[in-house]
Amino acid sequence: MHTWNLLRRSVLGLLVGLLGAGFAGAPAAAQLPDTMAKPGGFPERPLSMIVPYGPGGGSGQVSRAMIQGVKDATGIDITPDYKPGGSGMVGLKTYMAAPADGYTVLETIDDATSAYAIGKSKIHPAEDLIPLVISQITFSQIYIRGKETRFNDWASYIKFVKGRGGKSTIANVSGEGSMERINMNRIAGHFGFKVQQVSFDKPGQRYGALKGGQVDALFEQPGDVRGFLESGDFKPILTLLFDRPSAFAKVPSMKDVGLTFTPLMRFRGFYINKNAPADRVKYLQWAFQKGYHTDSYQAFNKKKFMDLIPSFRDTEGARKLINDTMGVYKKVYKEMGLVK
Amino acid sequence: MEAFIGGTLTLFGNPLSVLIFFCGLIGGLLFGAIPGINMLTLAAIFLPFSGLLSASDAIMFYSVLYCSGTYGGAVTAILFNIPGAPENAPTAFDGYPMTQKGEAGKAIGAAVICSAFGGTCSVLLMMLATPLLAEVAVVYVGPPEIFALVFFGIAVASSVGAKTLWKGWLSVGLGLMIATVGLDPVAGIERYNFDYVYLMAGLHFIPIILGFFAVSEVFVQAEKRVRGIYDMPKFATGFPSVAEFWKLKVAVARSVGLGFFAGILPGIGATLAAFLSYNEAVRWSKTPEKFGRGELEGVVASETANNAATGAAMIPLLALGLPGGALTAMMVGVFQMHDIEPGPLVFINSSELVWVVFAAMFYANIAILVLGFLETKTVLHLLKIPFQYLAPAILLLSTIGAYAVRGLPMDVLVMFVAGLLAYLLRRTGYSVAGIILGLILGKLGEENFAQAMQMVSYDMWVFISRPIVAVLLFAGFATIVANLIRALRGLLKGIEP
Repeated sequence: MHTWNLLRRSVLGLLVGLLGAGFAGAPAAAQLPDTMAKPGGFPERPLSMIVPYGPGGGSGQVSRAMIQGVKDATGIDITPDYKPGGSGMVGLKTYMAAPADGYTVLETIDDATSAYAIGKSKIHPAEDLIPLVISQITFSQIYIRGKETRFNDWASYIKFVKGRGGKSTIANVSGEGSMERINMNRIAGHFGFKVQQVSFDKPGQRYGALKGGQVDALFEQPGDVRGFLESGDFKPILTLLFDRPSAFAKVPSMKDVGLTFTPLMRFRGFYINKNAPADRVKYLQWAFQKGYHTDSYQAFNKKKFMDLIPSFRDTEGARKLINDTMGVYKKVYKEMGLVK
Repeated sequence: MEAFIGGTLTLFGNPLSVLIFFCGLIGGLLFGAIPGINMLTLAAIFLPFSGLLSASDAIMFYSVLYCSGTYGGAVTAILFNIPGAPENAPTAFDGYPMTQKGEAGKAIGAAVICSAFGGTCSVLLMMLATPLLAEVAVVYVGPPEIFALVFFGIAVASSVGAKTLWKGWLSVGLGLMIATVGLDPVAGIERYNFDYVYLMAGLHFIPIILGFFAVSEVFVQAEKRVRGIYDMPKFATGFPSVAEFWKLKVAVARSVGLGFFAGILPGIGATLAAFLSYNEAVRWSKTPEKFGRGELEGVVASETANNAATGAAMIPLLALGLPGGALTAMMVGVFQMHDIEPGPLVFINSSELVWVVFAAMFYANIAILVLGFLETKTVLHLLKIPFQYLAPAILLLSTIGAYAVRGLPMDVLVMFVAGLLAYLLRRTGYSVAGIILGLILGKLGEENFAQAMQMVSYDMWVFISRPIVAVLLFAGFATIVANLIRALRGLLKGIEP
């Protein structure tokens, strides 16, 4: 418990910073100029976007939505180039090897931040890269089956898990040190229970495991399981936010169950190499931020529950979010003995 | 029936839908036949445009592409030992030796008929019982069962293509070892990557398959040419007879069942279907020693099963929203682009779309039969190309294929190293098929074993007390022991096991 008390104290200070980071730098569409002169005719050809994950997942989807948004707002064509593997590291490394001429941009998620914090990557997303925009920030929830009979809410779930003596299971994605695992470990630490976290990389397996009763619960973000929520197959029993978002007004929040640590968020954004020409970077910052504010992109984000908390960060807001998150990861990893 | 007729009328009542149907069909046949540049490449290219189509046309395109693309890879597997996709790898085990024996027409004919038959059976089952089957699959088959199934498959087929049992087992062992390169499937711990970031993602099996099959074959044939013993494959368009198919009726029925079963499991799909079916064909055969040397049943088993998996893979996708593989995962994205969440509500809110998909897949499998025969008549002429032109073309095509998978130059190097390794191993009686089996099933098996162990809190007793697991593990160990006894008996009689 001492570890978690320490952690709680250390991260409380970041609470406002993380959730509020970049709000000041979140201009409405009207604050961005409608047009911007192309610097030296740039771009003269379609851009390429390296996506370090497969085309079917969350990154693939947000990339396509942003490509459409940028096209709608500026007419710029962007071709996605999927480079999956190594938890995003293959795509990241491939991106850094591409010419820093502004013609190649990168989509990546918070995994790039945690990978740097734990020492798996030498590429700092806020220092070696320039964030053009972060366009999705989302919270996680814990789900049970809609037809579950052994427990039906957070209180009865906790009772069930404690009664299983560490043999209860929860499905998630990623390995040690991931956003999912850290959040779940903190919850378990607070309530004093042990839970077996089962890692399923493929969404189909992950959701199938809960649907078929192979695991007791699922740790996931609401936009990814919207269909299961609407069909009643899955039911959220805890939202990892301090206050209940409007769409999940009946689901207890962290405050309701007495959790006080700052939850780590899933965030996805678009980046460019820091060595790219400054005028091109400025132009692309404008283009991607305009893309975020298009109707098509906003409709996409709404469909993914990304309108429940502010999802937009401009370059400065994104840097603050990344750096604050990095700080949390480093502290947690240190506490866990994963880094010195 | 009424719903099926409705789906058919919607599909063929609109010229644009008909055009999209044929684009998917021909696109799958072409892209499926080119190694590396497979149906997934076309699917990814088409993804941005699918938003411009109606939901039913977009989903229908991917469904048809899935059917024809899975078959398309069989042609190059048979003619040139280049499987277009991993699910066609077992097809090459016997298909290519048949080409060398002058039976390419028969092998491709069997692949066409079996793909169409397996796919059609699968679609019919899909139409009859999608929601029920989907529920049963996720409730009764989890990671422990999938691991047990993989273990059983490896145990059964471990000696396929090898000169002796020991060499077969060593070959599978090597495949299993290669499968461990990269991040481990649970904690993401780096293994055997020597701080090289591209190895973190592991060795992709497409470049290895291309190296083992295509590149090593070019080396083997080149050596024969240098020694003056090269025989050009005989050109023959003779298709399999009805009598030959009738003899294989049990194998076909078994392959439909296995393919359907593997396809219905979320995250598994056509590759495991093809390998399992091939393994079972070997196990039940009265002449297992003929497999890997040009046995028609090998082609039949693999191609029936991989296409039977296509319709089945749509079941968890449509009924539960659970994609079974990369292409069905992309289809989830297509559904969402049209504001539809695949899952139980699709049958209520978008039943017309579901039946257009069912109808399209049904007709796609019928069309494979027709187009496949026309294609066969054409592509067989490729065998007439002299080796000095064919070999560089195969190497070029394979190089493009290896690079295209992930856009990594490392994969081209891996392909040539694998080719050289396979060339040496084949000379010494080791099994290339066994290595591929170990590699593909090893990745799947390890991932599911790790998940299974987490699920049962590392309690082996809980693990083996699951009935399906117990049966499959027992059958796997029994097979290993039986093989061992047979080998030891042979040893006593002075026969090398």
